[in-house]
Amino acid sequence: MRIKARTLEALYALLLLLPFLFSLGVFFLYAFLRAVYFSFTDYNLFSPPRWVGLANYWALFQEPSFLLALKHTLLYSLVVTSLQTFFALILAIALNRPLRGITFFRTVYYLPSVISTAAASLLLLWLFQRTGLVNQALSLLFSHLPHLAGFALLFLGLQGALVLWERRRGRRTPFLDPGLAAVSLLGAFLGTSAFQAWGLLQAREVRVDIPWLPTRASFLGLPYPLWAIVLMNTYTTIPTFMVLFLAGLKGIPRTLYEAAALDGATPWIMFSRITVPLLRPVLFLVITLGLIGTLQLFDQVLFVGGSGGAPLESTITLAYYVYGNVFPSGATPRVGLASAAALVLAGLTLVIVLLQRRFGVGERGWS
Amino acid sequence: MLRVWLILLALAGLASAQVQVRISGWGGTDIAIVNGLLKEVVQPKLDRKGIRVVYQPIEGDYTQWLFNALSAGTAPDLFYVDIFWSESLFASGRVEPLDGYFSKQELAEFLPNLIQAFTYKGKVYGIPKDFNTLALQFNKDLFDEAGVRYPNQQDTWETFEAKLQQVQSKLKDVAGLCVVADFARFGAFAFATGWKPFDAKGHTVLDENFRRAFEWYTGLPRRGAARFAQDLGEGWTGGCFGGEKAATAIEGAWIAGFLRDKAPNMRYSTTFLPLDPVTKRRGNFIYTVSWSMNAASRNKPAAAKVLKALTSPEAQQWVLERGLAIPSRRALANNPYFQRPGKEPELNRVVFQGSGPQGGNVYPFKFLAYGGDWMRPINDALLAVMTGQKGVDQALRDAQAALDRLTGRR
Repeated sequence: MRIKARTLEALYALLLLLPFLFSLGVFFLYAFLRAVYFSFTDYNLFSPPRWVGLANYWALFQEPSFLLALKHTLLYSLVVTSLQTFFALILAIALNRPLRGITFFRTVYYLPSVISTAAASLLLLWLFQRTGLVNQALSLLFSHLPHLAGFALLFLGLQGALVLWERRRGRRTPFLDPGLAAVSLLGAFLGTSAFQAWGLLQAREVRVDIPWLPTRASFLGLPYPLWAIVLMNTYTTIPTFMVLFLAGLKGIPRTLYEAAALDGATPWIMFSRITVPLLRPVLFLVITLGLIGTLQLFDQVLFVGGSGGAPLESTITLAYYVYGNVFPSGATPRVGLASAAALVLAGLTLVIVLLQRRFGVGERGWS
Repeated sequence: MLRVWLILLALAGLASAQVQVRISGWGGTDIAIVNGLLKEVVQPKLDRKGIRVVYQPIEGDYTQWLFNALSAGTAPDLFYVDIFWSESLFASGRVEPLDGYFSKQELAEFLPNLIQAFTYKGKVYGIPKDFNTLALQFNKDLFDEAGVRYPNQQDTWETFEAKLQQVQSKLKDVAGLCVVADFARFGAFAFATGWKPFDAKGHTVLDENFRRAFEWYTGLPRRGAARFAQDLGEGWTGGCFGGEKAATAIEGAWIAGFLRDKAPNMRYSTTFLPLDPVTKRRGNFIYTVSWSMNAASRNKPAAAKVLKALTSPEAQQWVLERGLAIPSRRALANNPYFQRPGKEPELNRVVFQGSGPQGGNVYPFKFLAYGGDWMRPINDALLAVMTGQKGVDQALRDAQAALDRLTGRR
């Protein structure tokens, strides 16, 4: 019997794919189907699963902590994805300039994404402690408000005087002329120092000690501890997406920019009409990866909640809710409920990505 | 050739005559202790009975591992059970009741509090291997420097607080105590007032007594007697104590190992927790760990023999004399080790006695099968009041509402 060349090729492909398919089947497909089954049962790991139909899903949407986790997850995902996409794009465009030593800057800006989340979380804890750097910096800022105000007033006064003088002499000078501004800045600095020395300006006694992490206070619907995680996560993921954008930018032909420049296009027109449309496939990738990654926020929550002392209410996310119910501390596992929550998270991720693709940035580039 | 086969056969026969009993516990410092105990005390005794103990310590999250292993049927014959999650495990039916293997007399040789802690629905599911309670550690050098009298066992909350205030005001950069927003410490003071975590119906009521302890404890930082641990960059009272950021700590005997590394030359001493000025009693927790048996074990009689050897007087003596853990047997109360001079024997003695009459109102560190879900509302209330985000009234009302939801009151 002879096997056709095409069949043989397919068989070889299958053979080479087999190890991957095996692990996919066992650790993804099988686990997923089990989770689907468990989500319809009452199961605590010990007594046999008992079929309860949709009761788990029903219970989920009545539980305050699940609804809170859902709200946190959605808001967090929206905020972080927007922030990181925006800043990654800006940074990529800045680093795409043909400047001397640009490779050095690219390396430096990539460094944050090399930090492990555990190490970054620890740094975060230290920064946001009540006696940490954030509160100290704020204290320093607020206690020197008189100096800052004096400095600003002096600067404005000097600059205004200089510009008026220049205009009197018939030169058309913009208000923020760099040369004059440098002189005014120096003058304002010297003036403020002099006032300080004469005792006209004094630092106030201000001690900011806001408990950033062990708190329930919130801003724009997100609790402070989650904002701290937003800051850290944006900071550590921007570089990765920046690299993707850089690769995309390299693929845009220079001739387009040259043609646009000849037609008298401003930089903003070039950015919005050439760069962004041609980057759409990369933009789609970045937004999709960002959404999926942020919807699954987990390890930072564990750190900030554990060592940071943040209350559960202020940090809970869907992924953490799932974990907390499979292994509740000191109580019987609630596997059914956790499986249902995990499937809600999976479904939510899928829906959001599809919605994004349909109504947001699609993967198709130039059409 | 035949000779070789015969020898191999004979060896195989010997091996099969030996019963293997698998035991597991968490890793960390326990590994060296259990290995030493097995090698020097337990295995020599069991060799004669043809039992071989195989010890498999678990690094990582032990509870998750054990629950998974018991569910999957791969769990060892004997394993550690922490009192905190014991009830949810015993309720699963995967742990063997031990009443059939231990006589009443044998059980009576252990501290009754501890046996009671591992009793679930009238049956004993674990033999305590050791235990801990809370005690008050104080840094003698810091008290001397401030010129304040040492805390002692006659101190009430009021006299103790006055001493802390003096220390804190004299030594500007040292707190009297660093307090944590954790029921695992605060609870001892709540118990002192006579408050019980659960009433007869299994509900939790945060009554006037609870409130009195709550107000005293959360007010310590405001009244200049303590600082909030997180503000000092620490997560537990021992951390502040070891770093000389606080003059006292409220911890169990586990602090000894930490201080040995962190502050080997610190002159510290230990006494009992202060008394409630109203009831003139103190309160305490019992933190304990048992050896329990897998209900699906295939060699239960052998496992029971190993369990007995692991908790035998000789084994506990061995552990105690090295200062590694506090024994759960009554007979060891008068062990000469406790009378040895030095800070660690004293610490261990106070912690040992904390479980008895001198401990006052003592409860095991478990909350039915609710675990951490039960402590969370109280911890949140402690945190909210100590960081000034809520008043006492508001915080206690919120905690009561959350506890009512959990325990089904109302």
